[in-house]
Amino acid sequence: MTAKALILAGYGLNCEEETLHAFERSGLSGTIRHINDLIDNPKELQNIQILAVPGGFSYGDDTGSGNAFAQKMRLALWDHLQNFVARDTLTIGICNGCQILANLGLVPALGGQYGERTVAVTYNESARYQCRWIDLKINSASPWLSGVQTMHIPVAHGEGRFMMEEATLKRLQENKQIALQYIKKKECHPCESRDRGDTKQPDPVLQRDDIIWEHANGEFPYNPNGALADIAGITDPSGRVLAIMPHPERGMYTWQRDDYMSLKDKARREGSTLPEESDGMALFTNAARYFEIAKKKSA
Amino acid sequence: MTHRIEVLGHAEDGRARALEHKLKAIGKTASVHVVDVYTSENKNAANPAFRASLVNPVTQRADTKLDNFDWALEIGFLPGVTDNIGHTAAELLELSGSANDNTVYSSRLYLLKGDLNKTDIENLATDLSNSLIQRISIKSKAEFDADGGMDIIAPKVTLGNQGAGCDEVDLNISDEELERIGKQGIANADGSRRGPLGMSLLYMKAVQNYFKKEGRNPTDIELETLAQTWSEHCKHTIFAAPIDDIKDGLYKHYIKRATKEIREKRQQEALSSRSSKSSLQKQGSGTTNDSIPDQVRDDIYWKDKDRVGDICVSVFSDNAGGIIFDENHLITDKVETHNSPSALDPFGGAITGIVGVNRDCIGFGQGAKPIINRYGFCLADPRSNPKYYRDQAKTNPILPPATIMKGVVEGVESGGNQSGIPTPQGFVNFDDRFVGKPLVFVGTIGLIPREINGKPGHVKKALPGDKIVVAGGRVGRDGIHGATFSSEALDEGSPATAVQIGDPITQKKMSDAIIKEIRDLGWYNAITDNGAGGLSSSVGEMAEQSGGFHLELEKVPLKYPGMAPWEIWISESQERMTMAVPPENTEKLIALFAKRGVEATIIGTYTDTGRAHITYDEQTIMDMAMDFLHDGNPETPLSTTFTRGSKAEPDIAEPQDHAQTLLQMMGRLNICSKEFISTQYDHNVQGSAVMGPLQGTGRVYAETSVTRPLFNSPKGVVLSQGLFPRYSDIDTGAMAAAGVDLAVRNAVAAGVDLEQLALLDNFCWCSSDEPERLGQLKRAVEAIYNVAVKYGTPFISGKDSMFNDFKGFDENGQSVKISAPPTLLASSIGVIPDVARAIDLAPKAIGDIVYLLGETKDECGAGEYYNMLGHTGQNVPETDAHQNLRLYKLYGRASRDNLIASAYALNHGGLGVALAKKAIAGQCGMDIDLSALNLRADKALYSESTGRILVTVAPQFKEKFEKCFSGYDHIHQIGHIAYGENVNINNTLQCKIKALEEVYKAPLKNY
Repeated sequence: MTAKALILAGYGLNCEEETLHAFERSGLSGTIRHINDLIDNPKELQNIQILAVPGGFSYGDDTGSGNAFAQKMRLALWDHLQNFVARDTLTIGICNGCQILANLGLVPALGGQYGERTVAVTYNESARYQCRWIDLKINSASPWLSGVQTMHIPVAHGEGRFMMEEATLKRLQENKQIALQYIKKKECHPCESRDRGDTKQPDPVLQRDDIIWEHANGEFPYNPNGALADIAGITDPSGRVLAIMPHPERGMYTWQRDDYMSLKDKARREGSTLPEESDGMALFTNAARYFEIAKKKSA
Repeated sequence: MTHRIEVLGHAEDGRARALEHKLKAIGKTASVHVVDVYTSENKNAANPAFRASLVNPVTQRADTKLDNFDWALEIGFLPGVTDNIGHTAAELLELSGSANDNTVYSSRLYLLKGDLNKTDIENLATDLSNSLIQRISIKSKAEFDADGGMDIIAPKVTLGNQGAGCDEVDLNISDEELERIGKQGIANADGSRRGPLGMSLLYMKAVQNYFKKEGRNPTDIELETLAQTWSEHCKHTIFAAPIDDIKDGLYKHYIKRATKEIREKRQQEALSSRSSKSSLQKQGSGTTNDSIPDQVRDDIYWKDKDRVGDICVSVFSDNAGGIIFDENHLITDKVETHNSPSALDPFGGAITGIVGVNRDCIGFGQGAKPIINRYGFCLADPRSNPKYYRDQAKTNPILPPATIMKGVVEGVESGGNQSGIPTPQGFVNFDDRFVGKPLVFVGTIGLIPREINGKPGHVKKALPGDKIVVAGGRVGRDGIHGATFSSEALDEGSPATAVQIGDPITQKKMSDAIIKEIRDLGWYNAITDNGAGGLSSSVGEMAEQSGGFHLELEKVPLKYPGMAPWEIWISESQERMTMAVPPENTEKLIALFAKRGVEATIIGTYTDTGRAHITYDEQTIMDMAMDFLHDGNPETPLSTTFTRGSKAEPDIAEPQDHAQTLLQMMGRLNICSKEFISTQYDHNVQGSAVMGPLQGTGRVYAETSVTRPLFNSPKGVVLSQGLFPRYSDIDTGAMAAAGVDLAVRNAVAAGVDLEQLALLDNFCWCSSDEPERLGQLKRAVEAIYNVAVKYGTPFISGKDSMFNDFKGFDENGQSVKISAPPTLLASSIGVIPDVARAIDLAPKAIGDIVYLLGETKDECGAGEYYNMLGHTGQNVPETDAHQNLRLYKLYGRASRDNLIASAYALNHGGLGVALAKKAIAGQCGMDIDLSALNLRADKALYSESTGRILVTVAPQFKEKFEKCFSGYDHIHQIGHIAYGENVNINNTLQCKIKALEEVYKAPLKNY
């Protein structure tokens, strides 16, 4: 039996189809479930291994992004959710889903205090929606992220700025719960993928693979929302619950990448073939692998 | 008791910070706090659980003392205005256990401290709000303290005409009085008028005659219905009317005929290819591509069964046009305008525009899934602030261009992003004549299975006996007279009720329920959206299929009590779909909608009685023949004149400093980057974006996008458009032809084959009651017929907006009329077999060869270069469709063989701008020589001759590439991509890329 993923939908969530595809592509089986149907039959959570709250605009971000949807889940499903995360399961919240998980207190759940709201994901510093590609550094033992060092995937949000008390940040750092952080190429403007005026040994193709990364340090647009400590995603203490603002499902295939035109041209010149999958797919294949290993262990 | 909950945001709040920056930009230093305010008359609003649900404990505090500010500014809605935040708060109130009357009103309070006086606050208030829909309240700290805070206001709707019934309208009156009713509306008892019907005397007389025959006077609702149904907005009377010697009208004679001829030709080709196919296959088998003569290769290609033939499936008959995407799906496209509402409330106008055209998609056939949004704005210079007024007393000023730009950009952002539909495709065009009436284009592309439940996906039909079901939002007074109003020029009497705000989440819930669940269950026979004209249009149109309807108007769910029957019937409240549902399916359909948080209600029955019949509380208030309702409007024959615009070329000296001229050109509004729009529009939701709005590492704002709507198919949808309003100053025919050519050429450059390409036409004209303007229209329509038929690209959908004029007064109280330049927006939609074939505009490698394809003529007339120098000129670019077609076919060979590294279809600003954009996109140098063009350097650089594509090609593909164009004269190798930081043009200019990039990105950077 393959592990089953449940992807929530309804009230303005809108990334459920591409998120389902990502799970299915990774060999998992998945179902899209409207939140009202789950509320009618919450026991379904007992029969699934993965819960995904996808991106979207639940309740139009009114009263704060993710707030109203989280209130709805908390009132109708809290005990079931608590039981679900207590089992050996995986939970992911992407973008609006990340905001919902934070408002539910499923992350960071410091000291195992699930349900406590200690982190806010709020208005971008620019007070404007930002849809752009960013780079991430991964530093986490979360099963969602095993084997991943950096990722190039997009963000698309108006409220993606992680904020919290100093003390909370400190504990997150100590517990290694800051899973993903925005980074930038060292001394390299995003518009310049190569050094200008370097006439000695230029790469004939306008690409550059030998990149040195550094923290975005709050600098726009590398950190697209002004998030504290360049935080793009956090986990619960177990690492099994991941809340991430960027969209891995929009960067899971090479053809989705913002540099796809350039990559495919390069491949054409070299007579090479591009890999079909890109960075974002790793999260979903990791989820599949997690349950395969668990299955083998129990066998 | 009315409860008021104040939620104070933290100092770092992005919204507060943005406002501080804004103040700083005008030289004011201040600190801002944002307070979210919720007001409710429900006693349960005191419930601590509800209050807590409105607060993020990490960043917000409720019920805290508001202190440490100098000024308090609160902005809330006027009664009846859609309040989306209030709606969500109401749902939270319900979740907290409150059973009913859960209305919550939202408002926002700004607390400001710093270098500000009352006038500053008032100016800020004007800037942040719109008096048509919002109320403002300002208090100094002292006033605030003295009053114990802000005033508690619950903007509840109270209608004076509670329980108002239906009035008879006496039509046994003079022609003069008839005309007055048509122009100003039905008179109320107190002598005031209900707002324009937009009916001419000719129309009013037809109505008078009909009711004479019926032996009675019409009711107000009957007259309002006829006004809606016969409006220019709904009936497109100008395009339908006989014009000069064209008896069947412009639409049938040119637009529809173009499509018909193209389709017939394609069908013919498909038939003949089937008979000759076997022999061609024999020739093709066992040989490599290169050894087959080009002509035969083309034949094999064109006659492949997937590609040849008629791509049109549903044209001009539904809410959108539909063409073949693959063997299992159609794609649909529709572009709408929302000009008049956007002039009054830019945000509301644009958001209702985009969510409205989304519904056109949902209402296509059995229901298409919205997969891409388009936008286009024609605006005045946002850096200018001309003073014009709607009234002579100068109390009612037009909105500043910057306010309009900000509002329409945000409206599409809010509607598109919240609906989860990517918006990768669009444009902005600037001309100061758009000052009084901006043009706001919004479009939606849909995807629909070709077969649903064994029936063609694009076919629907309401049957007699089907129940009329409405689903989605409730009906309020908003949007009354929208259809008739948009058919009129904007003046003082323009009703504010025509303005409304969209509610994307209500629509999203409804859309998901329909497209993702109910459609595939086959529970309805037909579906359409409620747009202009509201129920009167949607029910009226669907009843044409069954042959009549009976509607019980009191069953329509209302936002608030007290609306008159005619208001309910024609209200344009958004987010509603109307369906024809067999009686046995209604119960389960309504239950499933309810399960998805969507209200659905049976409001009547489709019949075959031939009558449009409405009752209100069992009393008949409308009973008209369907025939008269739909076809009773008399034809108004039109006659035209045409005079070509400007007649002379200016005598200008060649610029001394070409680099300086290029820099100046790059900073022009029609050329510079609009990146600020692209980054706030979610262009990769649904995971389908392939080629986005910002191309190359230098992020150049692009004209063409590629989307892959299905994960399991490599096929792509390619979108673009073309629009050249200023060319109309010389010749509307050249304007329209250039628009169609660019829409086609952009798509071809990106890799689309002409055979897989279709067009949409949106005419935005002005003063369409003047023979000269009608003459310009006729010329434009004729021109696009010729170009489209030559290219073989059919029109599949279109719309027109005929009175884009502002009538008002200038600063001296002098009467002025500002007409938008006659504008055709041509939009293109095409399919490529594999997104791997897509070509963007950014050069890819040093050493690549730069080719200019197509002929450059001395054609700067009405272009960006002449405009910069203050001239119009005479030599407007003429489109030679025959020549262009030849190039596009040859180009297709090269693009199919993946020989092209980058391509850019030249447009505003010509070759000079194209070269600069390429250099910026690729962040690479260029060495160029233009001597082959045989034109003076400035003409060579800035001529806007149509039909040209600038490409770069890898040296290794040079030979193959050139072979594709053997025998073609207008292929010019003009240089190569170079190391270094300059664009070099031999004997003309050397310009730093960094400098070009800076001026290109500067003008709109801070909007």
